[in-house]
Amino acid sequence: MILRRSKKNKKDGKGSDEYSEEYSEENENSAAETPPPAAVREVPVPAARSPHGTPVSTDICGQVRLVLQQAAEVYADHAEAAERIEAHLDRLDSPVRIAIAGKVKAGKSTLLNALVGEVIAPTDAGECTRVVTWYRNAPAPRIVMRRRDGESNDLPIIRQNGRLELGLGGVAPEEVDRLTVDWPSGDLATMTLIDTPGIASASVEVSTRTEDFLTPDEEQGAADAIVYLMRHVHADDMGFLEAFHAHAAIGSSPVNTVAVLSRADEIGAGRVDALQSARAIASRLRADEKIRSLCQTVVPVAGLLAETGRTMRQAEFNALAAIAAADRDYVDAMLLSADRFGRELPEGAPELPSAAIRSALMTRFGLFGVRIALPLIRQGITDSTALAGELVRRSGLEELREALTALFTERGDLLKARSALMALDSILRSTPLAETDLLLAQVEKIFSGAHEFVELALLGSLRTGAVALPSEQRAEAERLLGGTGQAQFVRLGLAPTASLQEIREAATDAMSRWRRRAENPASARPVADAARVIVRTCEGILSSL
Amino acid sequence: MPAPDVVIQTVEDALRMVTARGRTDLASRLRKTKDRLHDDRVRVLVIGEFKQGKSQLVNALVRARVCPVDDDIATSVPTAVYYSEKPVVTLVKEEPGADPDDDSKAIRVERTEASLEDLARYVSEMGNPANREGLSHVEVGLPTPLLQSGLELVDTPGVGGLGSVRATATLAALPGADAVLLVSDAAQEYTAAELEFLKHAMKLCPNIACILTKIDLYPEWRRIYELNQEHLTQAGVTAQLIPVSSVLRWHALDRNDNELNVESGFPVLATMLTNTVGQAELLVRRAVANTVAGVSEQLSRGLQSELGVQEHPETVESTVSDLRAAKERMTALRERGARWQQTLADGVADLAADIDYDLRDRMRDIQRNAEEEIDVLGDPSVVWVEFAPWVEEQVAGASSANFVWANERARFLATVVAEHFAEDGELSLPDLDVGVGGSMQAVRPMYLSDEGDPNLGEKALIAVRGGYIGTLMFGMFSTFAGLALLNPFSVGAGLLLGGRTLREEKKRLLQRRQAEAKNAVRRYTDDVVFHIGKDSRDMLRRVQRQLRDHFTEVATELETSLQDSLRTAEAGARTNSADREARIGELKRELASVAGLQQQARALVVTPAKAGAV
Repeated sequence: MILRRSKKNKKDGKGSDEYSEEYSEENENSAAETPPPAAVREVPVPAARSPHGTPVSTDICGQVRLVLQQAAEVYADHAEAAERIEAHLDRLDSPVRIAIAGKVKAGKSTLLNALVGEVIAPTDAGECTRVVTWYRNAPAPRIVMRRRDGESNDLPIIRQNGRLELGLGGVAPEEVDRLTVDWPSGDLATMTLIDTPGIASASVEVSTRTEDFLTPDEEQGAADAIVYLMRHVHADDMGFLEAFHAHAAIGSSPVNTVAVLSRADEIGAGRVDALQSARAIASRLRADEKIRSLCQTVVPVAGLLAETGRTMRQAEFNALAAIAAADRDYVDAMLLSADRFGRELPEGAPELPSAAIRSALMTRFGLFGVRIALPLIRQGITDSTALAGELVRRSGLEELREALTALFTERGDLLKARSALMALDSILRSTPLAETDLLLAQVEKIFSGAHEFVELALLGSLRTGAVALPSEQRAEAERLLGGTGQAQFVRLGLAPTASLQEIREAATDAMSRWRRRAENPASARPVADAARVIVRTCEGILSSL
Repeated sequence: MPAPDVVIQTVEDALRMVTARGRTDLASRLRKTKDRLHDDRVRVLVIGEFKQGKSQLVNALVRARVCPVDDDIATSVPTAVYYSEKPVVTLVKEEPGADPDDDSKAIRVERTEASLEDLARYVSEMGNPANREGLSHVEVGLPTPLLQSGLELVDTPGVGGLGSVRATATLAALPGADAVLLVSDAAQEYTAAELEFLKHAMKLCPNIACILTKIDLYPEWRRIYELNQEHLTQAGVTAQLIPVSSVLRWHALDRNDNELNVESGFPVLATMLTNTVGQAELLVRRAVANTVAGVSEQLSRGLQSELGVQEHPETVESTVSDLRAAKERMTALRERGARWQQTLADGVADLAADIDYDLRDRMRDIQRNAEEEIDVLGDPSVVWVEFAPWVEEQVAGASSANFVWANERARFLATVVAEHFAEDGELSLPDLDVGVGGSMQAVRPMYLSDEGDPNLGEKALIAVRGGYIGTLMFGMFSTFAGLALLNPFSVGAGLLLGGRTLREEKKRLLQRRQAEAKNAVRRYTDDVVFHIGKDSRDMLRRVQRQLRDHFTEVATELETSLQDSLRTAEAGARTNSADREARIGELKRELASVAGLQQQARALVVTPAKAGAV
């Protein structure tokens, strides 16, 4: 039932005012009477970021870590709570967790493989992923299965044809809580990826497993951000995203979701211009008010093309090159359908790689992939690396990675801190102790005081339409708040090569414009409030220069 | 459907014979049958989710790009494609008329001609978003051989999620269809929603074929085919699964390549459609055969009795007994007349009560669930955006289940009534039109009167109200102890009470919102019960009227036949012997021709339906 999940949601949207009112008094008292705990303890501060990193740096992770450590001390005697707090402390140091979710057969595992650049998530024509699987960066490969009853055991690592085989060793999927795959990979160093079984599966249990994972009853969302895959917009998809937000994000905000129009190569029945169509559809979806309010952006990705591009082998290139060199009309006739391409050739046909090899190519590249790879080779691409690069470029994977970096990895600390704070909040409320109120007040103080959270909340309100601005103003506001990326030049809408002087000028200009809006007596109150937040953002940029 | 000549010929022969005998009642029945032969089309609905290739499929079938196809833009208005000598496009607008009780005036139809090029403007989301033009459907006539057999293909807008309100509307259209093609592409196996929809649809139109499209694009389509086959078996759906590729079909047509055409899977689909046409034809033949056989039976009964009298006038005994028998049959028929009417009236009353109860029961369940949810949810105004669609979805599901059930029951009632006539060898069932109007659209959406949180000023006012009383109360008490009205105690008490009042006000507000939300749900379900209930009652009234008219006609015919026998028996006794010989010859000839007609009618059913051209 979707509704249960949202029960906690109410406090997020309107809660912050309430909390600050209720606790501010106490808060001041505590500050006056007891010395701030920060003085007592040495807190590891994250290394300073590059000047083009997060501009407004108030060290949110440090503050959150501090509260968590205090809570850990307070709850030292409560084994369960302490364990959860420790887990969140560890989590602050690990990469941001991104869950890949979507309907059955939306191409989740394929996209994961494309992002990692290795075939480590099993894919199949039928429904394939049946348990939640975590992919983490680690020095050595290791697969651990954790069962529902709490026991864990290692699974053997079997690779076949460059694909990782994930068997459950005879354990039924419903008994498995999760699989964790440790894998040495540079791509996983900045984010931990979580593959989930499909929603709206014909088998009800599988669907439920994903929904349980993404929207747990406890307020401790396992993922910091979500990549939501959809084939075409669909009433079911919308319902699911809404339910997800109602629960996990700050006040139903879309700030931690990116939607992917997956299997983009299949639009228009695999025509060569399929990706252009996909881009047009994605931009229409981005402009749609309903979708705006659910996710930050919509990116089209041809998952299969990206996966194959990133994992292409020399032998595959050679086979493609041989086909490209053969009689063109004959090859074009073969390319009419996937069946024809993989069929045994009749007598008198040109010399071509064997049917088995061609079928394998079809599985790896898809009809669309082969259709665009052959002309590329004919036009003069001579080595597999160049072809792989071109396929990846055309698949839209780079755009997705940019979006993930700008929206999730760069903002990772903030997202992790948010997950940790929300979890702590729920622990504190479920197990109240003498010191609980004090800790709660601190949690609230960070939530309402830290400018990053304020930015995030405002970004959410802008996207959901809770704060209404004219459209160009809204676009600028979202950009300044980090809606398209965290770097200063991105926020100010400048080129990456912008000089310090240009950045300063642009920031000053934006600041004075938004200050006028903030001070304009004709502005409605939410608009004026929003403008004030943006002014502070600009101040932050200026002061960091 | 344009029936084969032999069928039409049979009906016309019968009509001539009946008119010659002066039996206007039988003539009108035959004329009705004849009309139906002329305009009946075999309707095949093409349904499925968004972007599965429905329009593409219809285009490839009829070998013409009639239905607009686009990567992104979806179809918004149903498009019916049928046979005509030259291409013609008709836009049809239907509006409910003033008098819903009168079938003939229930719907006002407005038809406009348009050109084939303009079609996209009317039927796609681009030119006609969310069907702004208010078209009920568009008809396209095409000179395609496949359609010549009377086939009509209806391309429907995709149902956004097969559990939606749109899906309910699609379900309502199913009983009128001869076959349904459920289109789903080979990208993935069936989802839970599709299987659920299939199960519902099976009950309304048993002739379903599942079409697996885009098999040129997916190398693994055979796996999907097997998986779907398994899903169908598990769900207990007996439907043919046909893999096709519209793209290959087009290539095949362009190159005139038969091998490619076979590969596209379209010949199998075309055979399935031809079989459907064949079946529909068989049904029509059977109906015609039954009607004609019934008519000739009645004719020959009259002739037989007269012949008996003419041949043996001296056996007054037999004439008398014949007369008596005929009179008894008349009485019996009248009695039965009362009985079948009773059955019909009771049946409809029961049915109305049952359907109403079923609907109310389902709605009450939803309402109860919704109220439980509201209690757990806390502030309902926050989650309203997702709560309201949830309730609406539940309601849509419940009302379609109710509709399916009502439909089954109405058909059953028809067979029960028909049993009364079984003794006379006439078990004819009327064609029931049990479609419902689109009353779900008339239901007002659920809304929650918006009353925001008290703002700071209001909060202050509320707090001051409580605080003031507290201060005053304790101030008054403490004046007894010789303190001033405003002293630390009274101010403290004021603050305490002020805070308390504020908290209570918040709690009260929450409770009020919950009550408001529950009210909104109740209003909504009431509204649904009202509209759907009205719809079912209308449907039942229509069914009752159809059954009554049909069976009254049957009864009248029987009565006329018997009166005929009576009259001839009486007349036979009075005729002189000279005329008698001539009359006997005449009667024998007539009887022979009636027997010939009967033979002809029987032959209609025996002849196997010829397979049409693809």
